[in-house]
Amino acid sequence: MIEIKGISRTFQTREGEFEALDDVSFEVRDNEFFSILGPSGCGKTTLLKIVAGLVKPSAGSVLVDGHEVAGPGEDRAMVFQHFVLLPWADVLTNAGFGLEMRGVPRRESRESARPYLDQVGLTRFASHYPHELSGGMQQRVGLARALAVNPDILLMDEPFGALDAQTRQLMQEDLTTLWDKEKKTVIFVTHSMDEAAYLSDRVLVMDTHPGRVKEMIDIPLERPRKPSVRQSPVFTDLTTRMWHLLRGMVGESDEVAPE
Amino acid sequence: MTRMRLRASLSSSVLPIAGLAVGFVVWEVIGRLGLSPAFPPLTDVLTACAEVWTSERFLTNLKDSLISVAIALPPTMILGILVGLLVGRYRIAEWALDVYINTFLSIPLVALIPVLVLIFGLGRGSVLATIAIYTFFVLVVNTSFGVKTADASLIEMARSFMGSERRIVRRIVLPAAMPLTLAGVRIATGRAIKGVIIAEQVIGLIGLGGMIQRLGGAFRVEELYATILAIGFLGLVSMELVRWGERLAMPWMRGRLDSEPSPAANTA
Repeated sequence: MIEIKGISRTFQTREGEFEALDDVSFEVRDNEFFSILGPSGCGKTTLLKIVAGLVKPSAGSVLVDGHEVAGPGEDRAMVFQHFVLLPWADVLTNAGFGLEMRGVPRRESRESARPYLDQVGLTRFASHYPHELSGGMQQRVGLARALAVNPDILLMDEPFGALDAQTRQLMQEDLTTLWDKEKKTVIFVTHSMDEAAYLSDRVLVMDTHPGRVKEMIDIPLERPRKPSVRQSPVFTDLTTRMWHLLRGMVGESDEVAPE
Repeated sequence: MTRMRLRASLSSSVLPIAGLAVGFVVWEVIGRLGLSPAFPPLTDVLTACAEVWTSERFLTNLKDSLISVAIALPPTMILGILVGLLVGRYRIAEWALDVYINTFLSIPLVALIPVLVLIFGLGRGSVLATIAIYTFFVLVVNTSFGVKTADASLIEMARSFMGSERRIVRRIVLPAAMPLTLAGVRIATGRAIKGVIIAEQVIGLIGLGGMIQRLGGAFRVEELYATILAIGFLGLVSMELVRWGERLAMPWMRGRLDSEPSPAANTA
């Protein structure tokens, strides 16, 4: 179980202090697919990085199975919005890079990453370089890299945010299939209501300026999830509810910070 | 695709030759006009080349100069890249060394050669020291800039997978710094040749630089040009060698270098 307890985070900016997160608390159950939904600037990525141990909170703590997070750990692996692959390394080396950073020799890392590359359907592209792949394929490499270290918890930071709509939908379907097979705890950050509803067991809707917990929404859709679930009335009700929650905020933040 | 490449490589090899040909013609004409003893006709210079380049004196001096570069350049490169890495990655090193680097980059290094001669005497020691100061700071600056180009998100990614500083430097910072570091190596190689000639000229006794000094003093202009041309070729060859090494060291850049837009690609 992941316990997020009273997390606050402020940043120093030129205009003074900026409060990104204010007293955020919630829990994520084991093997749960948990999404954090919010408009841009609500601090959801900062929150994820705090769970990852990459950013220190100004107040509060994160406990994973009762142990306080003090930095990156073996139990967690992250998938990044902009893929973040090594441009000078081939796909297989990239997929094994997480292992390599944890001290596994490169050759072994590459070999251990092979089955995960297979899992994301990229075996044929093992010796390609990232710039030769489409965005969707690059993110599959990012996913394989995270899976290869066999984490209990997957932290996904808007992983499909940089992809076009069709690729995005395909990736969502593949991810839910993958998750059905290998139930990991997932914290998934997104600003897409559709995506949150389709993938998650629960969705945390965040308030913005500063980031706060607005509402927790249970997603009672049956698993395994088929693409057709998007047309069901329950699905539509859920996304409508999210829309109402978010709309108020987007309006508010527009007034606060017109761009 | 292959035709496009062929055209691109054709124009990239034909154009420099055409440029040279024009230069040669201009040189020959000016020489024949007899405007100044400083401009002998090219054909006379080429005759001198044939003689000079096979003479024992030239070969001994060439060997002398090359040995100086071979002794001084590799250790300076290693040291320069190492210091560059420290300066680029660790703010403490940057704060401590920035003043020295900027100073040495901006003062004319020729001015330091007499000082080096005072320290190392009228011999190879001074030449080696000159090559070192001519190349060291360029390497430091280029490498440190290269280190700073390392993508912060890549470093964060590595940290999220528990990468240690040592692994992050080896697998992210160094490869990211490689293009600029190797550009530094290329510039340093050119400067090493400059440095060796200048030092030898000041000292006036040894190497190709010394030879130039003596030929100039004796108004043996054709032979002087022959020696200068040899130094030019030396520079070209060493640059090409480094470039070739660059491509070998960075296979991931090869595709990008090949796909650089060329006029031929635009018209197709």
